[in-house]
Amino acid sequence: MAVRTTELTTDVTIRLVGESGEGTISLGELAARMLTMLGLEICTFQTFPAEIKGGTVMFQVRARAGAVYSEGDAANILVALTEDGYHLMGGNLAEDGIVLYDSDVFTPTPAPGRWDLGMPITSMAKAEKDALKAEMEGEQVARLPAPKNIVGLGALLTLIDAPLTPAEQYITDLFGRKGEGIVRMNIRALHSGANRVKQEIGTHRTPHIKPQERTTPVITVSGNQMVAMGALAGGLGFFGGYPITPATEIMEFLAKELPRFGGDLIQAEDEIAALAMLCGASYAGKKVMTSTSGPGLSLMVELINFAGQAEIPLVICDVQRGGASTGMPTKTSQGDLNLAVYGVHNESPHIVFAASSVEDCFWAAIDALNLAETYQCPVILLSDQALATRKNTLPTPDFSAVKTVERIKPAAEDLGPNFRRYLDTATGISAMAIPGTTGGAYTATGIEHDEIGNPGYTPQLAKKMKNKRFRKLETLQKDQAADFAHVYPHKGEGLADVGIIAFGSTEGVLREAAERAEAEGISTAHLHLRLLSPLPLAQIEAFVASCKTILVPELNYTGQLAGLLRANVDIKLHAYHKDEGVPFVARELFDQIRALASQN
Amino acid sequence: MTTAPVTFTVKSYKSDLKPIWCPGCGDYGVLSALYKAMANCQLDPDKTVVVSGIGCSSRLPGFVSSYGFHGVHGRALPIATGIKASRPDLKVIVVGGDGDGYSIGGGHLPHAARRNLDMTYLIMNNNTYGLTKGQVSPTSMLPLISKNPKIDPKRWRTTPYGMVEDHLDPLALAIAADMSFVARGFSYRPNQLTEILTQALQHKGFALIDTFSPCPTMNQDQTDEFYKEKTFDVPEDHDPTNKGAAFSLATHPTGYPIGVIYKHLGKPSMQDEGWVLHERLAAEPPATVEGLFKKYL
Repeated sequence: MAVRTTELTTDVTIRLVGESGEGTISLGELAARMLTMLGLEICTFQTFPAEIKGGTVMFQVRARAGAVYSEGDAANILVALTEDGYHLMGGNLAEDGIVLYDSDVFTPTPAPGRWDLGMPITSMAKAEKDALKAEMEGEQVARLPAPKNIVGLGALLTLIDAPLTPAEQYITDLFGRKGEGIVRMNIRALHSGANRVKQEIGTHRTPHIKPQERTTPVITVSGNQMVAMGALAGGLGFFGGYPITPATEIMEFLAKELPRFGGDLIQAEDEIAALAMLCGASYAGKKVMTSTSGPGLSLMVELINFAGQAEIPLVICDVQRGGASTGMPTKTSQGDLNLAVYGVHNESPHIVFAASSVEDCFWAAIDALNLAETYQCPVILLSDQALATRKNTLPTPDFSAVKTVERIKPAAEDLGPNFRRYLDTATGISAMAIPGTTGGAYTATGIEHDEIGNPGYTPQLAKKMKNKRFRKLETLQKDQAADFAHVYPHKGEGLADVGIIAFGSTEGVLREAAERAEAEGISTAHLHLRLLSPLPLAQIEAFVASCKTILVPELNYTGQLAGLLRANVDIKLHAYHKDEGVPFVARELFDQIRALASQN
Repeated sequence: MTTAPVTFTVKSYKSDLKPIWCPGCGDYGVLSALYKAMANCQLDPDKTVVVSGIGCSSRLPGFVSSYGFHGVHGRALPIATGIKASRPDLKVIVVGGDGDGYSIGGGHLPHAARRNLDMTYLIMNNNTYGLTKGQVSPTSMLPLISKNPKIDPKRWRTTPYGMVEDHLDPLALAIAADMSFVARGFSYRPNQLTEILTQALQHKGFALIDTFSPCPTMNQDQTDEFYKEKTFDVPEDHDPTNKGAAFSLATHPTGYPIGVIYKHLGKPSMQDEGWVLHERLAAEPPATVEGLFKKYL
């Protein structure tokens, strides 16, 4: 009988590495699913090769009782299905961690303090398939892949002392349609993996997962899925897009769902055409969005300025990826901030917004559509690869909090010959007639124009109309800018030792680092910006005044947010930035906070 | 048979803006034919959008009293696609020049043909870049360097030693891409152009009308005289639904046929497919975001 020396834990991180297309991701997703069923909250991270098949994939799942802010630091358990995977992505294992490896494939060099648990996963899976073949005949059985991931799942669940019953039920549901034999094979595979671990476990220390009572049901969703669902909740009517990693999933999701909501989607011939279609559909009265990544955003730049000049509402969701040019398309980065804020010819008003978490992707998509409609200009919504593919367990959003905004339409008395589409108003916002409106005809144009839309180039007109358009951003700054940032004040009195200003997908890991710092007596405040252009200047200035020192961490090479803040706010800040394709881990950010606090 | 009452006349389509084209520009004749064709079709200006890119001819939407969209260089087609795909109830007319349509925007042509939305694309082809003052366009037919003993930098601004590229045949391109209505007009044959435009506006599907619209300021080679000499009417016995015959006619070795060259009746269209999809989905229970989230529980 096995002897188990367990450590009760409510926070475990499991990393899986293997060859793409060989079931590594599906094993990770299965494990995440089982841990969710045990009442734990989940955060996942995955990185995969750019190739269609082949190359090393990594899937990390962290399970925790209560809120889970990041995918975790060092892994407690590494499941290594290939030697390449082990060498390339097997790092960052806890000192007392466990390596569960496929001994049919390779054997890692032992390391002190670590338990290497070898299991012939490939041959165990093959044995289960052969057993089924002996029982049943037919094409379906012959073509069936050996259940390697189910053997691995049984082993993994046993290693963390989790019950197998939910997995058995899940397998029955998942494979039920394929027949009883296949269900039986998978359940046997599950137990074969589990039994092997029981035999080997001896006196090794393993994390023991404590199941939690869940009071409300949770959803498990990714950032890309939440952007797509937020867009639907926000009233999306038209989507035009061009496939690009890692944004494509948004378009695929909406290709299926948008027509069910009465909208239309077109796969354009390129990103320029995609944004041109958005301009047309928005002019025609629809709420519009596209999704792209950095190279696609570069192609859209000319039309972003057009839409700013012609005052056309639209949303571009830029799921940022690593590196310039083809770079590292399946890795993460926050490197498009400069392009989003400054990347236009001349100047035209547009808004830059960033989603901060998987949950926020839903609300940010709604906010972006509302901002576009309110201020009649392009909105660039920033996400990134890590956020887009990250899966979190979350409560279902509170739909009663969803507010949608429509662009201003002209009053009946304003319509007629020479309708003034571009009326110079106190807010800068003017009513937009939709084609089909009697007496609302006007020509939308990128050429400088008067209030009617007729071309003109005099200095007086140029001044008046540029003022009119940019006044919309002043209105936004005055009326709404302070509504968008997330503020996490420090505990205690007086100035915070360290104040963090950041944006985008780093919110969770920064909260985790800040909480760790607070726990160690370093008072840490955190301002997480969602609206990046125009900046909420008054709010930033007040925050800066409440902190002894400011840390600006971000995932790009040159420190783009730090540059944006320095250009707009009287601020002394410490920039921490890197662009290596992977997200921050809490420990490195905590180290930054601690180092900065010690200099106070 | 009853005749529909005439609500809109040519005057209904004229805006307060006066065209800014040079005296003698072919585009005046095209604009006039367009007004007449719109009146022939009784298009409601409040339900019509005239879309353009950038160039001399792309200023046209401002001269029409309907809704207008003066976009960016080369992107008139995808802009119009966004309008028509999201609002099939609107009449969409796209206008522009040869540089706009065949050079910077050339990549959009085959895709407009594939989508086959109900819209009319009227290209005013002057075989040059007029707005930027006389560079070669994809349809310029100037002599090649090897055929040109002299240089004339005044006229050929970016090819002072002669052409190094052959010119593009837009009609052959349009037929190859299977645009469902392909025609050629000439601004100096205004009645015929009105008739062609009227047919194009009534066509179900995507229609391209390449119209010779000579530029008297910048192009001393493909002038009105040149085209008067080289153009001829599409023969009465030409069957535009015969693709082979259409291709032969479009690529006539010595002259330029004026009239309807090619028609593909019954070509699939994004508009029809979208209509069928929406009809089908309308029979299903209405979708809600709340319902979507249930899949992720």
